[in-house]
Amino acid sequence: MTQTILNVENLSKTFSTKNSQIDVVRDVNFEVNRGEIFGFLGPNGAGKTTTMGMLTTQIRPTSGEIILAEKSIWGNLTDTRKRISIVTQHNNLDRGLTARENLLFHARYFNLPSDEAAKRADRFLDLMDLTERADDRVVNFSGGMAQRLKIARALMHDPDILFLDEPTTGLDPQSRVLLWEEIKKLNAQGTTIFLTTHYMEEPEQLCDRVAILHEGQLKALNTPEELKKLVPGQNVVSVRTGDVRDELLSEAKTLPEVEDATAEMGTLRFYMKDATPDLGELVKWLRSQDVNILSMNLHLSTLNDVFVHLTGKGLEQR
Amino acid sequence: MMSSFWAMVQRDLLVTFRDFWEFAYRVAMLPFMFILLFGFILPTIGQVPEGFPTLMFAGILGMSVMVSGIHSVAIPISLDFGTTREIEDRLLAPLHPRYVAFSKMTIGVLEAWLGGLIVLPLAWLIMGANLSVTFENVGYFVPILILAGLTSASLGLLLGTIVKPPQIPALFPGFLIPMVLLGATFFPWPELSAIPWLQVLVLINPLLYVSEAFRAIFTPEISHMPVEYSLLGMALFTVLMAWVGTRRFVGMSIR
Repeated sequence: MTQTILNVENLSKTFSTKNSQIDVVRDVNFEVNRGEIFGFLGPNGAGKTTTMGMLTTQIRPTSGEIILAEKSIWGNLTDTRKRISIVTQHNNLDRGLTARENLLFHARYFNLPSDEAAKRADRFLDLMDLTERADDRVVNFSGGMAQRLKIARALMHDPDILFLDEPTTGLDPQSRVLLWEEIKKLNAQGTTIFLTTHYMEEPEQLCDRVAILHEGQLKALNTPEELKKLVPGQNVVSVRTGDVRDELLSEAKTLPEVEDATAEMGTLRFYMKDATPDLGELVKWLRSQDVNILSMNLHLSTLNDVFVHLTGKGLEQR
Repeated sequence: MMSSFWAMVQRDLLVTFRDFWEFAYRVAMLPFMFILLFGFILPTIGQVPEGFPTLMFAGILGMSVMVSGIHSVAIPISLDFGTTREIEDRLLAPLHPRYVAFSKMTIGVLEAWLGGLIVLPLAWLIMGANLSVTFENVGYFVPILILAGLTSASLGLLLGTIVKPPQIPALFPGFLIPMVLLGATFFPWPELSAIPWLQVLVLINPLLYVSEAFRAIFTPEISHMPVEYSLLGMALFTVLMAWVGTRRFVGMSIR
């Protein structure tokens, strides 16, 4: 039976500036189940970080309720904070301390007995592949190492729910995949995970359920598979080529089997009407247009396609 | 809660002492230059009266206590909230953020005392010959020390929540130097009666009460504000600045 750990009701946040009021989060409702990886997907500026700030007692909501394990998070701040942990997008490690000291002091802030803290620190340093650098000051840590240490620190007090804000932003692809593996491992050990991201691959790789946030509003919430069914046409053909010409796109859209076509960074994307499209026809057409095909692949529609369908904008654009 | 609080204090102590020489240099340099100039060079070449070192002894001590305490609280808080965000781990600990502010003030008090302690031997060493220091009204020493530390730390807290990191360079010429020069450091406050408007105006300077209080116990023969008044001044400023500073600190922690 699924058990709800976090319950968010009618959550809104308005920031007031001198001249205006900005509604950053507007009437958002959702639940997070114990043991799941829950994703918040949206472009930069969608209100993800503000929502996470409210869920983690850093920002007071303008209105709405946040219930953690059946209690309002503001009712007992101390108890709430023992149950949650947040890994922020920016590096907020304690630069005056070594990696191990970062973990041990965190444990002391959370009143862990020192022998248990030492054991947990060793374990998480090992899990995050940081044992060799444990006694170095964190000033010189790379982005990936800092991110892994932040996660290790967040795990020290054994939270019920771990909040990860854009956990892989700024990481190289290798570190990113490594981190995904770590997150999956943690979840397998029973930690509920709430993450925000603007990369569509992340929830596809990791999340049990995904909420799509746009301009402070929740547009959809479901499993990645169910969300993708919202997109008409189910297959996308990506063609990597050196030359993307604008007139190619407008002509491609007139092809009978193509629903839509886009281009980004030397790659043409054709959204196909048919679930089993005739690639031969497409290749023939590309050759007739003198397009130099470097690679070509057919894939099922992605969460980015879902986002475009729901909001009319891509995840990468504002 | 108390154990989290002490862990935060210890974290700050560890970081300060890890770079102890940096700390000592920062704390000692300004008073050292003042002592060298007004306590040694100028009296030796006859440009200030011989009694001048004795006059400014209490002020230099007060200044060292105030500046070290302010520095140790204000600048880390400003940088923490504005740039490094190092403090976030403490702000999310299971205790109300006001206790994080109190932990910062505790460090401020300790470093303020340490600042005074570092400067004392310097003063004796350089001005020794020209100095006539007694130790009277001993009963007031402990309350003065505590209140001087608290005044310094609470002003540091308040400043730390007001000053943004890009404004830190302006803190020195724009705030600390005026505070030092008009804080009864180089003149006894009662003598300002010759410039009545200034005598009233400088009452807004918390350092004034610290300097005058030290004057009352170390160089009582020099005119000074009654020690009860300087104690009251420090207490009032501490309460006011700590209250506003803590409110601002909490407001920055939970937006």
